[in-house]
Amino acid sequence: MAAATILVVEDEPEIRKFLRSSLGAEGYRVVESPTGARASIDAGTHKPDLAIVDLGLPDFDGVEVIRRIRDWSPMPILVLSARVQERSKIEALDAGADDYVTKPFGVGELLARVRVALRHATRPSSGRPLALGTAVVDLEKRRAERNGEPIHLTPVEFRLLACLAKHLGLVVTHRQLLTEVWGPSHAEDTHYLRVYLKQLRDKLEIDPVQPKHLLTETGVGYRLVADD
Amino acid sequence: MKWLGYAWAAAATLACTLVASAIGARFELVNIAMVYLLGVVLIALRYSRGPVVASSILSVAAFNFFFVPPRGTFSVEDPQYLLTFAMMLAVGLIISWLTESVRAQAKAQAGLALEAETERIRNALLASISHDLRTPLAVISGASSSLAERGERLAPEERRALAQGIFTTSREMSELVAKVLQMTRLENGAIALERDWHALDEIAGSVLRRLQERLADHLVMVELPRDLPLARVDGALIEQALGNLLDNAARHTPPRTLIRLRAQASRGELVVSVEDFGPGLREGELEHVFDKFQHGIGLGLAICKAIVALHGGRIWAERIPGVGSAFRFALPLETPPQMPAEAPAQA
Repeated sequence: MAAATILVVEDEPEIRKFLRSSLGAEGYRVVESPTGARASIDAGTHKPDLAIVDLGLPDFDGVEVIRRIRDWSPMPILVLSARVQERSKIEALDAGADDYVTKPFGVGELLARVRVALRHATRPSSGRPLALGTAVVDLEKRRAERNGEPIHLTPVEFRLLACLAKHLGLVVTHRQLLTEVWGPSHAEDTHYLRVYLKQLRDKLEIDPVQPKHLLTETGVGYRLVADD
Repeated sequence: MKWLGYAWAAAATLACTLVASAIGARFELVNIAMVYLLGVVLIALRYSRGPVVASSILSVAAFNFFFVPPRGTFSVEDPQYLLTFAMMLAVGLIISWLTESVRAQAKAQAGLALEAETERIRNALLASISHDLRTPLAVISGASSSLAERGERLAPEERRALAQGIFTTSREMSELVAKVLQMTRLENGAIALERDWHALDEIAGSVLRRLQERLADHLVMVELPRDLPLARVDGALIEQALGNLLDNAARHTPPRTLIRLRAQASRGELVVSVEDFGPGLREGELEHVFDKFQHGIGLGLAICKAIVALHGGRIWAERIPGVGSAFRFALPLETPPQMPAEAPAQA
């Protein structure tokens, strides 16, 4: 497979430099856009496989950049956000971004997110059963087992897992989950999620309080991580 | 409260009249006037100009009516008493003006003291920020300059150690800056709670994952009842508060110390505790641990306090005799909303 091309939309030259060298060292081709306006053009001409968008751009909102890319491309989009930008981070995810990395971040964390997002784009849902530690869930056959013993999951629990599995390894916002599993009229009913995630963790995790697979991103959403 | 001054003016005049009539037979009229003057002065010490003028006029009238011949009338035989009247009024007004200016000065001084206190806090903040930032900056610039200038002469593991040091230190610095910013925002009331229903075990799980490295040298024990009710809180802020308590416990106890995270719902409150089996707090430290600048900048616990207060909760520290210390906060619980039960599916 040819090296993936990554579009980096970031106004700070020092951060661009660091992203260029660390992504370059991993064999990715890097295209840099210092402004939101430039990003729309570069996204069209270079046809990148993934975009990394900083939310604090000087000319226009990073969320706007994401909307414009989403209008014509399903490419995975990673958001770089500062800790104080909690709101815009969720807005960006709801506007179509696939995941986020909070500044300051280590390069290991960023590369891991990039790999997950690229993998997700090339082979979306494999249909393979999910390996979750001692538990295995086959979403197509609607079967789940733990330590070889069958366990019972309710239809809603299956739908919730399926929604998370569709974005395996990526964060899914509360709104996305609620709309997809319970319908748009329940988009604000986060307590549904609290109750069902607890049930799922009780059934699938070894230690439900310190889960390894059904992870909470406080204030944002949930992330399903499966074993390879 | 305005009428109160006038009431006292009338009462004082009445009292003076009673005193004066008791002693009147044995003293000169000028000394009787002094009794009235005392009443006016007392009113002037306590009340503003209106009651003072009223008490002067009442005193003059009473003195004139009851004591100045011809008694029982408001007419005056000897014009020298007119001077006495004028003096009483003047003394009353002067005293009232003096006390008012003293009061104004005291007020101004209190304002100045408050300003000085704010200034002192600001200076302490600046001093501790510059101290707490200077050390990591020295580490970063030292390590990065040796990498940049003589990196090729260093062994790979030395290079890695220097780079790792820069990474860790800069992360800590960034956390510190975030805390200062957060404290400022909390103090300025710039943070509006985004309340939502949250499960404490989820928040705890998320904190423990975030602080994995920081807590790696300690033994963390989590004791959360399975049936904790949902709480309507700002999840991100409570996560931060809990994280700061755990971070504080890890920072102030030696490695391998046991840290226990517990929670329970009781009497309409969710009580969350971080207990450590470390050296414990000293006498007198209990009340001040949540103040700013207790340890270096020590904003972590002050932020906890502000977050818990914003939720209408309580936060406190305890000594566990012979064991260590406990930091607890309690948040008011509300009745969680109902949710439709799922029709049991066929297995």
